[in-house]
Amino acid sequence: MVLLQLDPFLNELTSMFEQSTEKGTVWVTLKRSSLKSKVQRNKMATAGEPVEYRCLIRATNGKKTISTSVGAKDHQRFQASYTTILKAHMTALKKRERKDKKKAAGADKKEGSKKP
Amino acid sequence: MVYITSWDEFVERSAQLFRADPDSTRYVMKYRHCDGKLVLKVTDNKECLKFKTDQAQDAKKMEKLNNIFFTLMSRGPDADVSEVAGKEQTEAQPGKKGRGRKQ
Repeated sequence: MVLLQLDPFLNELTSMFEQSTEKGTVWVTLKRSSLKSKVQRNKMATAGEPVEYRCLIRATNGKKTISTSVGAKDHQRFQASYTTILKAHMTALKKRERKDKKKAAGADKKEGSKKP
Repeated sequence: MVYITSWDEFVERSAQLFRADPDSTRYVMKYRHCDGKLVLKVTDNKECLKFKTDQAQDAKKMEKLNNIFFTLMSRGPDADVSEVAGKEQTEAQPGKKGRGRKQ
């Protein structure tokens, strides 16, 4: 399992999506983790130190797995980039069939604008 | 496997699941471009909630859910999730201010 920094992770994720357009799956897992063992966590709790939690993000295409860890400071930036990547690649999903709705909505709008 | 049909129910129950056990709850997303399918799973290793779709509109909803999870996970389960909705409001306001003079 490859642990990467934020930006390399995003680049690898993009290439994973691109590679699996014809065939294959992309899995992305999100989990909260402090990246410390239970023993260390208990010690920190008893010592009174706040346990720092990070968000662990893993991505795989079935063959290769990459991961990264995002803290509260980086999460907004990561979120924005991650959303952009998903939007760019999830193009195979069906768009809502608005043909019937558009005609009805268009007819209603025209009538609505003429009235006042 | 529990497949949930209502998006809102899925979101509410996953948030509840996370808040109840933040250390063992995980959120998994599986996307297959060749089939045009998206499956979401939230589990705490005792209970499992799944949601599957092939609709582009659900991808947009999923992005909002991603934001919620990111906030909850990095800031802690007590984080204010209304911040996510709050951001949308703050983005909308500057747009209105800019269009003061239309002559």
